[in-house]
Formats: sequence, structure tokens, C-alpha cells
Amino acid sequence: MVITGRVPLLLLLGLVPVVLRPAMSTVWLWLLLVAMTTAVDWFLAVKPQSLRIERGDIGSTRLGHEAESRLTVGNLGTRPVRAVLRDAWQPSAGAENNRHHIRLAAGGRAVVTTSLCPRRRGDLRSVGVTVRAPGPLGLAARQRTLDVPGMVRSLPPFESRKHLPSRLARLRELDGRSAVRIRGAGTEFDSLREYVRGDDVRSIDWRASARNRNVVVRTWQPERDRRVVLVLDTSRVSAARIGDVPRLDAAMDAALLLAALAARAGDRVDFLAGDRRVRARVRAAGARDIAARLQEAMADLDPVIAEADWSALAGEVNRLGRQRALVVLLTPLEPASVIESLLPVLPALLKHHRVVVASVQDPALGEMTRQRESLTDVYGAAAAARVVQQRRRASDILAALGVHVVDADADQLPPALADHYLALKARGLL
Amino acid sequence: MSGWFERNRSMVLIGLGTLTALIVAALLSGGPRTGADHDPENPGSRGSQALARVLEQEGVRVDIVRSAAALEEQTLDPATTVLVTSPSNLGTSTADRLVEAARDSTLVVAGAAPGTVEALGVDAPVALRSVEGARPADCTDTGLGNFEGIDIEVDQAASYATSAGCFASESGWIVASADEGLILLGAPGILENDQVLRADNAAAALRLLGQQPRVVWYVPSLGDLVGDDGVSLRSLLPPWLTPATWLVGLAVLALIWWRARRLGALAVEPLPVSVRSLETTEARGRLYRSASAREHAADVLRRSTRDSVASHLRLPPSDVDVLVRDVSARLDRATTDIDALIGDRAPSPGSDDELIRLAAALAELDTEVGRT
Repeated sequence: MVITGRVPLLLLLGLVPVVLRPAMSTVWLWLLLVAMTTAVDWFLAVKPQSLRIERGDIGSTRLGHEAESRLTVGNLGTRPVRAVLRDAWQPSAGAENNRHHIRLAAGGRAVVTTSLCPRRRGDLRSVGVTVRAPGPLGLAARQRTLDVPGMVRSLPPFESRKHLPSRLARLRELDGRSAVRIRGAGTEFDSLREYVRGDDVRSIDWRASARNRNVVVRTWQPERDRRVVLVLDTSRVSAARIGDVPRLDAAMDAALLLAALAARAGDRVDFLAGDRRVRARVRAAGARDIAARLQEAMADLDPVIAEADWSALAGEVNRLGRQRALVVLLTPLEPASVIESLLPVLPALLKHHRVVVASVQDPALGEMTRQRESLTDVYGAAAAARVVQQRRRASDILAALGVHVVDADADQLPPALADHYLALKARGLL
Repeated sequence: MSGWFERNRSMVLIGLGTLTALIVAALLSGGPRTGADHDPENPGSRGSQALARVLEQEGVRVDIVRSAAALEEQTLDPATTVLVTSPSNLGTSTADRLVEAARDSTLVVAGAAPGTVEALGVDAPVALRSVEGARPADCTDTGLGNFEGIDIEVDQAASYATSAGCFASESGWIVASADEGLILLGAPGILENDQVLRADNAAAALRLLGQQPRVVWYVPSLGDLVGDDGVSLRSLLPPWLTPATWLVGLAVLALIWWRARRLGALAVEPLPVSVRSLETTEARGRLYRSASAREHAADVLRRSTRDSVASHLRLPPSDVDVLVRDVSARLDRATTDIDALIGDRAPSPGSDDELIRLAAALAELDTEVGRT
């Protein structure tokens, strides 16, 4: 039972009879009168259960982009309904203006929309729809929270897509297609064609030219149909926040850019995410919609407070296929976890694949190394310098094993990883 | 458990000490005491325990009564003196009950104020003023007792303008005979432990109270008063105010009910784990500081500077001597100078200030090399 602001006002109106007949009995009689009226009003209010509320499918939206939750409200009863509706979502779903006043005739229908603007990645759920229906006098209301399940999937924002056009242009250069003046920098023999001015004389195929009336050059194209395996670490080290963004989200951004680029370059992309166990897996997606499929797979990933089980993850990588692949491990270079857990499985992995470790650096660490004003600063700088040295040592160990390490700031990592991929492709090292 | 005790030892000791002090104070304070003026059980300076004890030693039975009901239970015959102290606690109703109960006995009221005098049914003006020096008896009514040759001395006394009494004052009698069997004692100071030895105060008090073999010492209590003693504020207010206040209070309750009822439950957010990436590094820094690991910190900072300088000069950081020589040549500074900064065998800082200076010097060296 809910009362409205009219009840206290009605009680205050009782001051008039109290002044006219100053006795306590007047107060109790007036209270009884107000209570009876309110109870009758509550009894006459329409039951919220007589409304049928359905929610349309919302689907998914990118983080920070708007979505709409549409509720269809139908009046099943025989009386007209006037009510207030609250479409409650968890706060990070960013539900704005989620209170709706509705007026429905008997058997009528209405559609109310609540705009959502997710502020967090993942599946964001609605809490319930609360209906408050006042009685005919507006003194009391019936209230009931109905369970109307709803979910909006908030995808990783893929901020690094802005780097994609420039990297695709570089890819076309490798291909030898975009600018005729440059011979393809790829390593796979593509075809022979006539020499045009500006071609590199080193690419002239003299044997073919001898058999031909014109001078003939060889063209090359980058290798195609290679495999790229992206392994995303969701263990405790990925939970650490740089600024306000977990390392995991920065790594996702890098994985999305690389996947989009590799798919355009004609390579097949596999994706794995896990810590103690595999949390998401996308197989051999070479299609154009790779970014969308990966976003869908990544949407629900959250860091787990557990150590990564790299031997299990490496086994999973090998199970994906026996063909030689470029394995990109998206994990922070935390010295302890790298040396204890990752190092033992690397030799087996390196036997079959080329391995790249992409790590998100923390710019605040360098900043901390330079702070030297007070004693606390100096000790902090020493601690930061020590961490930097340990990271460098871990990186040196990895490099000695033959692993490429890409260590960059959160916003620099996606382009740096893409560039590294292009460089490998140019040299035919995939 | 022992760990908990170690951590909270000081708090536990303070608590135990306080508890012990409280127990000792409670044990030493003895039986029930009262701080009221002229109370027969008050041993303080303004109490009257001394007089009560002396009366008992002289063979007068003293019964202490602290409520009107207990007073009515006593058999008050003509061989009883009823002494009333703290009469300001008497209301109209208790005064009536007192007069009714003590109608056969002698009633002595000590220090009665004008209101009390009126409540006792006596029509006599009361004057309260300070008294200089001793007062002679000068009795006009021998029924009060034999005060021949006795002087009393108090600082302040009330005098009652009745027809007869003893110890005259400017405007009446300090010990006044007001009615049949009713004596008003305007100088209750003569009963006090502190003043009982001044002049002949003790004798006056003993003669006044010791005429009968029994004294009922009545200390009235405010708890015996009934509702309509005195004028209440309520009779001055409009009659509808109380019900109106109730009504407004009910309206406020309804207002709270209205505003406190939410439209559905609070929406809760399943919160993610939030770990700042620098957290462990900062903790390590605090650990260094709490352990005063100056030597280690200096070592790490030197190595960090060596690494960055070496990468700038494209030298291997492992060969320190070559690095020192190169840096001193590049910056045109003495080799020993550079060696003392980044050398392998450079002395470790002895104090915190030295560490801060070393850190600043290392940072400066780094930027200098970076500039060349």
C-alpha cells in the first residue's frame, strides 16, 4: 500500500474541526475518517497484475552508444487504468527518463520507451518494472514490481577502429596493388607483367624477358591464408586498471584491430580467452564480420581473480589446428606470472608457432620513476624503477626464447600490434 | 587470541584500570548518602547528621521519614515532635497531609518559604534577610521551650510576623509560634553540621527538638506531589493546541510514509573487481620506506640511470667502467664525480637527505645525457 501527498494534507485539514471542537476525540475521529477513506481508495485502485507488460528484444549496442528498451503495456482488465511505471535497470545501463505515466482504456495498449546508454561492457540487465496505480481519489495506490526480464549487451567499443584505414592502406602497399610504382613487398610470387617506368629494376625477371619481346617484371603478393590465433588473458593481472580502464579492455581493443586487419589480409583468425579455463572461443573466422563476432564473444568477459593456467591455454591453442600460426598472447608482462606460469609452456608453443606477446604498459609507472621531491617519492621511484627492471628482464628472457614482445601504452598498443603484424607479413615470417 | 591481545594491549590496560578505579570508588563511597540540605543522613557541611546523632545520644528517638505515606504510617502522638526539613518540596496536597497527620504533635518546619507558609495555612508575612551577630532569645511565648540565656548566630534567617515567638528580628520572629503545635524555624542554619557549634546554636536546636522523647524527622519528597499542585502552563494555552499538535504529528507521520515509499526496489550494480595497476608498486615503495632500505633504493635508482644512459649512448649497461668514462667525457665532468654517482662501488647514502640528494642528482644526470 502506498499513500500520496494528499493524505497528510487531508489530515492537516482536520485542524478546522479541532479548533471548532477542541478535544482529543476529534483528532481520533478525523484520523479514523481519513484512514477509512484511504483504505477504500486503495481497495478501489486497479490491481497492477491486470496489466500485461512485455519487453521487446534490445539486442546489443557498443559501449557508450544509445539503445532503447521498449515496453508494451496492455490492459487486460475491464476498467481504465492510470498508472506510473518505472522501468528499472542496473545503474551502469544508464537508463534515462525511466518513469512513465500511462493512461489506458479497458483493453488498450501503449508502448513506452526508455533510452539506455551503457557505461559498462557486458550484459546489463533490467531489475524489474514497478507499477503504481492510484485509486479514484488519488489518496492511496497499489504498487507491485513485476518481473519483466530484459538485457542489453554492451559490446567493447573498438575505439581503435580509427587506425584501421591507415593499416589497410599499408596492407595494399604490401600487396603491390595500391601504387603501381612499387613492387609488391610481399614474399609470395604472384605473376609476371610488363615493365612500366618506375618499377624497381631489381624485380625484372631476365629469364622471362629473354623469352618475351618486352621487359617483364615479377610481382609479389603478401602471403595469404595464414592463421592468426589471438589469446586473451582474463586472469587477475588483466584486472589492473590503467586510468579507469582495465588492462583487459585495452587488450580487447588491440585484439579487435588485429583481427579486423588480419581478416582483410586474407588470414584466418581464431580467438581464445581464458584464465584457469577457457572462457570464450571463436573458430576460424575469416569473414568480414570478424570484428562483430569477436565483440559479441568479448562482451561478457570479465577479469577473474585467479592465476592463468597457461599450459591449458597452450593446449587449447594446439587443439585449434596443427597448421603453423601466429599466436598473439595478450597478457601483461607481470614478471612473476610470466616467469612462473608462461615460460614453461613457451618452448612447446614455439616449436610449432610464432609467438608474440602484447602487453599493456602503464604510463604512470614511468611518471612515478621521475618523481623525486620527497622521501616517499624517492622510495616510490625506486620501487617503480625496480618494477621496470623486472619487466625488462622478463621481456629479455622472452626475446631470448624467440618471442616477440610488443609493450606499449593502452592507447598505443592496438596500432603497435597491427604494425608488428604488418612487419611480420612483409618479411614473410608468418 | 594472543595476537589480538598484543595489538590492543594499551586499550585493554586502560579499560582494566578504569574498571578497577570505578570498583574502588564504589566500595569506598559506603552506604546511601544524600546531599540534601539539613538532611539527617547528610554528613556534609550543610547536612544535619551531627544533630540527629546527638539527639539519639541524649535519649531522643529519631525516626527518619522520607515520604508522605510513611509519615502517615507513623503514630504521631503528643509525645512526638515532627521536624520538617526541605519544606520547599512540600506541595499543597502534601502540606495538607502533613498538617492532618501531625495534628496531635508539635510540628517544627525549618526554613519555610512564603509559599510553604501559605500552604500550611498560616497567614503571616515572611521576610528573609541577613543577620548580623548573635541574637538573644527574648521569648514572648514560653511554650516554645526554655531558651533563657541562649544566643543563636546564623548568616541568614527568615522571620515570620506572627503574634508570638522567640529570637526577635526587625520584622518578626526567627522561631515563630504560628499556630497551636506549629513552630516555624526561620534559621535552619542552626541545624547544619558546620554551624551547629556557632554561638549557642546547638543548645537552641536541642532544646527546640528535645522537648519530647521522640522526633519524627520528615524529609518531604517531590514524588508525593499530585498533578494539580501549583499552576500549570497548560491552563494558559488555548484548549485546541494539544489536539492540533497531535494532528500535525500524525500528518508528519503520513508525510514520512508518503516520501519514504520508493517506486520499486533500489537498482543494484554487480560491481567489478577494481585493482589499480600501480597498487603493488606503491606498496613496495612504502615497504622500502618503512624498512629504510636506503642502500637498496640507491642501488635500484643507480641501475635505472645506468640503463637509460647506456641505451642513450648505445653502450652495453653491463660494463660500468666504460660507461662512467664515456659519460664523463661526454659531459666534461670528472670521472670520480660520475663514478660516485652511478659507479659500481659508489658509497650508499647514510641518511634520508643524502638519498634524496642522490636521487635528484641521478635524475639530473639522466636529463643532461639526454640533452647531449
